[in-house]
Amino acid sequence: MIPFTKRTLANGLDVIVHQDRHQPLVAVNLWYHVGSKNERPGRTGLAHLFEHLMFKGAEHQPRGFFEPLQEAGGSLNGSTSADRTNYWAVVPAGAAELALWMEADRMGWLLPALTGERFETEREVVLNERRQSYENRPYGLAYFALSEAIYPVDHPYHWPTIGYPTDLRATTVEDARAFFSAYYHPGNASLAIAGDIDVEMAFGMAERLFGDIPEGPPVAPVSAAPAAAVARRLMLEDRVELPRLYLLWPSPPLFGDDDAALDVAADIMANGRTSRLYRTLIHDRRRAAELGAAQGSRELGSLFQVVATAAPDVPLEALRQAVMAEIARLATDGPTVEELERSRVQAESAFMSRLQTLGGFGGKADQLNAYNVYMGSPAYFRDDLERYLQLTPVDVRDAVARWLDPSLATTLSVVPTGRVALALPDSGAATFTV
Amino acid sequence: MSNRFTPPDPGEPSIVRFPSLQKAALDSGLQVWSIPHTALPVATVALAVPFGSRHDPQDQPGLAGVVADMFDEGAGDRDAIGLAAAFASLGTEISVDIGPDVTTLSLTVLSRCFEPAVELLFDIVARPRFEESDFLRVVEMRLNRLRQLRSSASAIADRALLRGVFGAHPYGHSTFGTTAALEGFSLDDVRACHGRVVTPVGSTCIVAGDVEAGLVQEVVARQARRWSAVASHVAAPAPVVPVDQPPKLWLVHRPGSPQTEVRVGHLGPSRHVDAYHALVTLNAVLGGQFTSRINLNLREARGLTYGAHTGFDFRVAGGAFSCDTAVQADATPLAVREILAEFAAVGGARPAEGDELARAKSSLTRGYVRHFETPAHLAHAAVRLATFGLPEDTFARYVPGVEAVTAADVSAAAVRHVRPSDATIVLVGDGSTWRDALDEFGRTIEEIEDVDPAGGTGE
Repeated sequence: MIPFTKRTLANGLDVIVHQDRHQPLVAVNLWYHVGSKNERPGRTGLAHLFEHLMFKGAEHQPRGFFEPLQEAGGSLNGSTSADRTNYWAVVPAGAAELALWMEADRMGWLLPALTGERFETEREVVLNERRQSYENRPYGLAYFALSEAIYPVDHPYHWPTIGYPTDLRATTVEDARAFFSAYYHPGNASLAIAGDIDVEMAFGMAERLFGDIPEGPPVAPVSAAPAAAVARRLMLEDRVELPRLYLLWPSPPLFGDDDAALDVAADIMANGRTSRLYRTLIHDRRRAAELGAAQGSRELGSLFQVVATAAPDVPLEALRQAVMAEIARLATDGPTVEELERSRVQAESAFMSRLQTLGGFGGKADQLNAYNVYMGSPAYFRDDLERYLQLTPVDVRDAVARWLDPSLATTLSVVPTGRVALALPDSGAATFTV
Repeated sequence: MSNRFTPPDPGEPSIVRFPSLQKAALDSGLQVWSIPHTALPVATVALAVPFGSRHDPQDQPGLAGVVADMFDEGAGDRDAIGLAAAFASLGTEISVDIGPDVTTLSLTVLSRCFEPAVELLFDIVARPRFEESDFLRVVEMRLNRLRQLRSSASAIADRALLRGVFGAHPYGHSTFGTTAALEGFSLDDVRACHGRVVTPVGSTCIVAGDVEAGLVQEVVARQARRWSAVASHVAAPAPVVPVDQPPKLWLVHRPGSPQTEVRVGHLGPSRHVDAYHALVTLNAVLGGQFTSRINLNLREARGLTYGAHTGFDFRVAGGAFSCDTAVQADATPLAVREILAEFAAVGGARPAEGDELARAKSSLTRGYVRHFETPAHLAHAAVRLATFGLPEDTFARYVPGVEAVTAADVSAAAVRHVRPSDATIVLVGDGSTWRDALDEFGRTIEEIEDVDPAGGTGE
């Protein structure tokens, strides 16, 4: 449903071109198949810190990375997850070659421009990002506590992508250089070009600008044993007003069996007003202030999660029981025909709406790269939709029964500081690195 | 290969062509605008109703927000969940966005589901159910939300800045109002407010996307028939223009905060300001984008923050200009000093000129085309035309308007509209280590609690 042409350059760079001439815009999107899961203990946060360094300017970019592209009318950003790092720019069509040149220059010639001074300043920026996005935000440390509890210390999802401050402070510019050499090269990257551009011209630019960058060393895939479902009750005191309950289970990896079924189960259970828990916990009885669920899909294994914030004076135990009761019902009876039909319509509509933007996070170029990096083909868009359209009530029922054992949940109660009695009974204080 | 290491030039600018609006008006007063966009078989429908938190009665801040929340709590034959299910079965959901001046109900839907979606939309505005149980839930959810915001440093700072800049003017509170006011509302208050402000007179229904203009007019005319103007409706009086408040230095002390949320701002002009294009350009130089002065200073040169931004908050009857950032705690006085210095410099010692000005203008003019990619972009752009009563050629005039801005225009705009000595400073963080260093800013330091202190439901 996103027509494309894919070719692989001699140096291993996958190049995907999608033409869409509705707007005079071009999206350039580049994925490196590296994330915090490729880090080693002691140097956590390096993948994300490195993403920041990519915006400081490469050898032939004396004006930095942002300035030439902003001046050209472009919008640009990047992001790092446990699994991958992506970079994108959306530019007026005339600036497509500039955007590609900028990406190529930093893929091939970043290190000569990477000075100790730039590195030091950017490390401070990242420490401030950590403060702003996690440390100084209500409930902001919850996933740090959960990841450390659920994943063993040597599992690559044990540590947060933002990294530990101690590790960030210990990281050197030499670490960053080594990281670049190991992971930032054509063989570990996927380039998507989408928009108002001639297909052959786009391939020509890609070949001319990226073709002479050396292939780089092969990157060994990261593997890890799946996390085990274990019953545990954790508690975290935080500067919050209302207690919140997190319930998590290890679940199948991105695009694995049951991944789509659990995604749909999350919606049926707790997302939006048509969900079961919205009716019981919010609409009818006003016991929850906030509610949501997700199959948080990742490459090496996922976490299924239900999150509910208690209304004032409602015990978290009441929320826990309501969630478990709904899980038990889904695991026994499955979704109704209406629920599944609604989820089918929503899937169709969601996939259609994903075709609306060329670039940016989640735009067409980003999706082509996601499917290419994770599944080896940008054409997986169609298969991805089919995963949802083919689901039966039995699929959803069985997935819930298989993965969401109420007796094997990890729970985290986040309570206002000093109010530990508001946590689920028998919860122990979460210990994790801050 | 000779130019291998020379960046290509950015090419010809893309021409911005905002599609033409097809306009009609119904007898009820409702305006109906359609905007063609046929890339995909989808359409965005946006209904802009001219009421917002500015229309809250003086003693009832937050009432309009409750009215807005009641929109999707059931209509016609459907209760709240039935309504959500009806939208979901069309593959869409309704979004209700209340601002200071306008409330927008919008949805994006497959073109083939256009009419049933419009039918539901007009059920919402014309046939509200106003059930007591829904009202109680809406109020309770808003109270809970307000309570949650008391533990968010950034939310505390945002609300304090509004109060500091606008004072007692209705723009001085957010759409959430206050805990005390919320606790006093009744369903009759909601009904009365709804009857006063939710009317087709002055409202605009905008459809952008792959639905032919004739069909848009026909379908909206048919579905909007049920929504008639209240006979007693009188045109709202002209909004009161906010007046300058004395500059303050408000400190919300949060022990142990690793960062300080910083807001520095003062009153600004309304969207109708003559110097609009100069102000947009000025903001791009000072703090509107990554490469703007304040971000380069606080983030790129010093590493004190994840980001710092400035913006003009243009509203119907006035506005605000402010800088917002979050900085590491020990850099709080330094950050405030630098922000004030940058405010002063752009209207004085370091005016925007030469390459810097050219780059800012170029990023705005060349980048303008990016803002009209999807039906939702087009519909919400048109909502701004409706909100401010702007002429249809507003988008066409943007690029030439910015291109015509001179260094003298930016300087004049800076002197008039960026005024460090008039700026209120809001700091939310652990003041124990830097409070004493704030004297240099020449303002009386007032330690305040949240501008919305806990109401009766707290423990």
